[in-house]
Amino acid sequence: MLTLLILLIEIKAQKTVRYDLYVRDTVVNFTGKEKRAIAVNGQIPMPTLTFTEGDTAEIYVHNELKESTSLHWHGLFLPNKEDGVPYLTQMPIKPHTTHLYKFPIIQHGTHWYHSHSGLQEQIGMYGSFIMNKKKSDPTFRKGIDDLPSIPIVLSEWTDYKPENVHRMLHNASDWFAIRKGTTQSYAEAIKARHFGTKIKNEWKRMLAMDVSDVYYDRFLINGKNESQLTQLKGGDKVRLRIANGGASTNFWLTYAGGKITVIASDGNDLEPTEVDRLLIAVSETYDIIVSIPSDSTSFEFLVTSEDRIKSASLYLGNGVKQLDSPLPKLKYFEGMKMMNGMMKMNGDLDDMGMQMSLNQMDMNVVMYPEITGELNKEKKHDMQDMKTDSTGKKMDHDMKGMDHSSHQMYNSNAMSDITTLNYAMLKSPIKTNLPKDAPIKELHFELTGNMNRYVWSLDNRVISETDKILIKKGENVRIVMFNGSMMRHPMHLHGHDFRVINGQGDYSPLKNIIDIMPMETDTLEFNANVEGDWFFHCHILYHMMSGMGRVFTYQNQAKNPLITNPKFAKRKLFSDDRKYHLMAENDIATNGNDGTFMLQNKRWSIGTEWRLGYHDIHGYETETHVGRYIGKMQWLMPFVGFDWRYRKLGIDEKEENIFGQTNTKDNRTQVSLGVNYTLPMLIIAQAEFYQDGNVRLQLMREDIPISKRIRAGFMVNTDMEYMIDLRYILNKNMGVRTHYDSDMGFGVGLNLNY
Amino acid sequence: MKTNKKNIILGVFIMLFLSLSLIVQSQSIKNAVTETFKVSGNCGMCEKTIEKAANKKGLVKADWDVDKKSLQITYNSKKTNSEEILKRVAYAGYDNAKYKAPDEAYANLHECCKYERSNTKQIASENQNDHSQHIKEASENKVVEQKKTNPLEQTYSLYFLLKDALVKDDGSLASLKSKELLSELNSVKMEALGGKEHAAFMKYFADLKTDVGHIAETKDISSQRERFTNLSENMYELMKVAKPPYTIYLDNCPMFNDGKGANWISKESSIKNPYYGSQMLTCGKIKETLK
Repeated sequence: MLTLLILLIEIKAQKTVRYDLYVRDTVVNFTGKEKRAIAVNGQIPMPTLTFTEGDTAEIYVHNELKESTSLHWHGLFLPNKEDGVPYLTQMPIKPHTTHLYKFPIIQHGTHWYHSHSGLQEQIGMYGSFIMNKKKSDPTFRKGIDDLPSIPIVLSEWTDYKPENVHRMLHNASDWFAIRKGTTQSYAEAIKARHFGTKIKNEWKRMLAMDVSDVYYDRFLINGKNESQLTQLKGGDKVRLRIANGGASTNFWLTYAGGKITVIASDGNDLEPTEVDRLLIAVSETYDIIVSIPSDSTSFEFLVTSEDRIKSASLYLGNGVKQLDSPLPKLKYFEGMKMMNGMMKMNGDLDDMGMQMSLNQMDMNVVMYPEITGELNKEKKHDMQDMKTDSTGKKMDHDMKGMDHSSHQMYNSNAMSDITTLNYAMLKSPIKTNLPKDAPIKELHFELTGNMNRYVWSLDNRVISETDKILIKKGENVRIVMFNGSMMRHPMHLHGHDFRVINGQGDYSPLKNIIDIMPMETDTLEFNANVEGDWFFHCHILYHMMSGMGRVFTYQNQAKNPLITNPKFAKRKLFSDDRKYHLMAENDIATNGNDGTFMLQNKRWSIGTEWRLGYHDIHGYETETHVGRYIGKMQWLMPFVGFDWRYRKLGIDEKEENIFGQTNTKDNRTQVSLGVNYTLPMLIIAQAEFYQDGNVRLQLMREDIPISKRIRAGFMVNTDMEYMIDLRYILNKNMGVRTHYDSDMGFGVGLNLNY
Repeated sequence: MKTNKKNIILGVFIMLFLSLSLIVQSQSIKNAVTETFKVSGNCGMCEKTIEKAANKKGLVKADWDVDKKSLQITYNSKKTNSEEILKRVAYAGYDNAKYKAPDEAYANLHECCKYERSNTKQIASENQNDHSQHIKEASENKVVEQKKTNPLEQTYSLYFLLKDALVKDDGSLASLKSKELLSELNSVKMEALGGKEHAAFMKYFADLKTDVGHIAETKDISSQRERFTNLSENMYELMKVAKPPYTIYLDNCPMFNDGKGANWISKESSIKNPYYGSQMLTCGKIKETLK
């Protein structure tokens, strides 16, 4: 009888939970315009999948799209072939086919799932994945694990097609900055008394700085910009299981009803910590508890994008809505000044001896008015003046001078009465030590990148340029990462949780995402315990698609039965970051028609320029350059050129360059060798040697941000040619341009770009 | 008779003018819907701020009545809605039928505009023209009794708010919180206190009131801070007897008062110094812990 009972319990505990997911194209309207999105079972976000530890998950994915898809179970421990990375752990789910993911649920916590195919995650394919603890679990926490809980997925929406967003990012289009109002042009710099800052910024070859890359039309909490949970009453406590399903947005979480108690991250329990706010990085999850202080009022849970341009709200409770204070706008020029101080002339970042890690020191605080004071009426912090000093000497001195506690620059918790969560504050309630006698493999990575060309990589190599990293089953892998790029990167490891070495010793927290800020160094470690090919990558979708990642693979592991043709799969996997991005521009003006057409990827650039006059005397010419970018900052680009021109000059008229070299030919076809180099102030210097022995040196600068929407440019070369232009940006693809060209004279026209 | 005629002509003119202006007004806002909502406020300055926050050229025309504390809005119902308008009013600092202002926005109001905020959050039910989708609750008019475990709890929490104001270098907020603390001290239900607690309260009552009164009177933060030392001493003595149900920390700043040092009480273990505020926020150490 007893055995039967036990057997029954066993069966009950090990039940199979089946979900059927129908992936379909849909049309959504978040902004007043109808746009394409992808819905699963008719909804965005995808349905919340709930399991209990010990269950077996059976998830049938019915792909009813016209394209292939996949689903990745983010943060889950599972057999590699269920991990859902197309061309790595499985072949993509083809249109109108069904794929079964089946795996045992061997953990608990708040996780989420999303498409790992292309940019589908941006347009709706994200959802909550909740695994409850068993009641009998020894780690079950009364007062926490028995609270009512609400799964929440944060996300963002853009009316632009994600492919277009990706392309625009690679073309360094500043349209997003215009939409956000963060152009940081010279006019704005002068107004903010930061002209010197802007000059220095361009001298150091930087474009306008920002904390995020993409302009979004809406931010969403469970698919809605605003919503209310009226079932909650005064005195209630509620657990919010929050996953950031945004493709590229970090969110600030704040609450109008008091403090936020953080109790878990990335599905792993934490010792409860009270904070005023926290930043949830792309793809992280946090479990928090908030209480509803009184009846007949609902309190705003405010989710603000890191750039603070927009927000989404969830009102907890019933009745009149108590608003939360909105986060004040960023002081961008302060950020620019800070960046200037950190950037060396060679493009490396200089942490000035501050060993930064775990988000404790946040350089961005210089931009936060709530920490470092409002613009114009800045609080006179002793530390305020110090940070401008880029030599670091004065700083050290002052640091000692005022040392009577743990004062630290950029430590927002020390500088204000607002408590912000950082990784050093996370502490696991249970010991998390790795197996003791296992061999240790230590790996070092530098996160590298280049905003101007939107190249993101590890150690200046993208996925397609590297081999898989071999690890051995049983060994402890330690990863030391330094972020030498100017953006923060949420680094995610598939299939494993890692310990974040954060000073909590045996109780170091377990996570599978770590958001690493510029100049930070973080150390992670995990025990290699599941064979397979596991992706390790930046979770900002557009960074991942640009190749910022690696693949870990186990030595001598069994073949993945789903990958029948590994060579083909590898080529397809690599094709993501090898992709070329198209940029085209054409100016239809009164004095002629000129334009460019450019295909670029990580390393290569193929570009054609044309200038077509309306008369023979003005001539027609084209120049085509095929070049390769060299070095981390990609300032150097040697190229091969092909020029052709035709024009009719008067008899005896000839052109002479400043070297006294002449050419008289009206019909000239030339092959050339040359090199581009980006000088300070973002001026491109070009030297070109033609087959006939002629030499041309040229200086050029495009897109000088004069004001929010006005751009200027110039070109001058040793053929005595010159050009200056001014352009007013009308919209994403159109502008009005006026220019003076030494060949064609003065012109006004319409500028089209793609 | 003549004057009468004159009056009639005048009357006609006035009517014409009025009807014209009405036409102009109704023309200026399309798809106009007019609604009236409760909006808190005090004075003429409030009126300006409220209307400025609500108005949007060609979309919203707002008029706030200082006596009735009500805001009449006429808006283009195809382009905006009362939620959007009232949200803007709340961000400007004014509680209303649908939104309560963020605490910071309220704190930033001019002194004369700091209307009394209702603690019971009752404004919602007074929506005069309620065709919103809110669930009407008959019970809403019932005053919600705050659950007090300790009759001194409100006193303590106001002390902590006063301390937080000093941490923020906000003299006017500190003064405001002291006023609230003063009235709370006067209304403590002593009969609900136990014997020991009652005795302790009687012992420190007068001193507490003196210090709080002084802090309330001024907005000068340095004299407030001087008084705060003594207030904290007495408050701590009281707390030692009438213990709050949570852990408190007696923190010490060694520098204040020409190096003689000063104490304060905090609910958090992290140091946020109310004697120097942002100047030396994390200066200090925990002297005693009371569980």
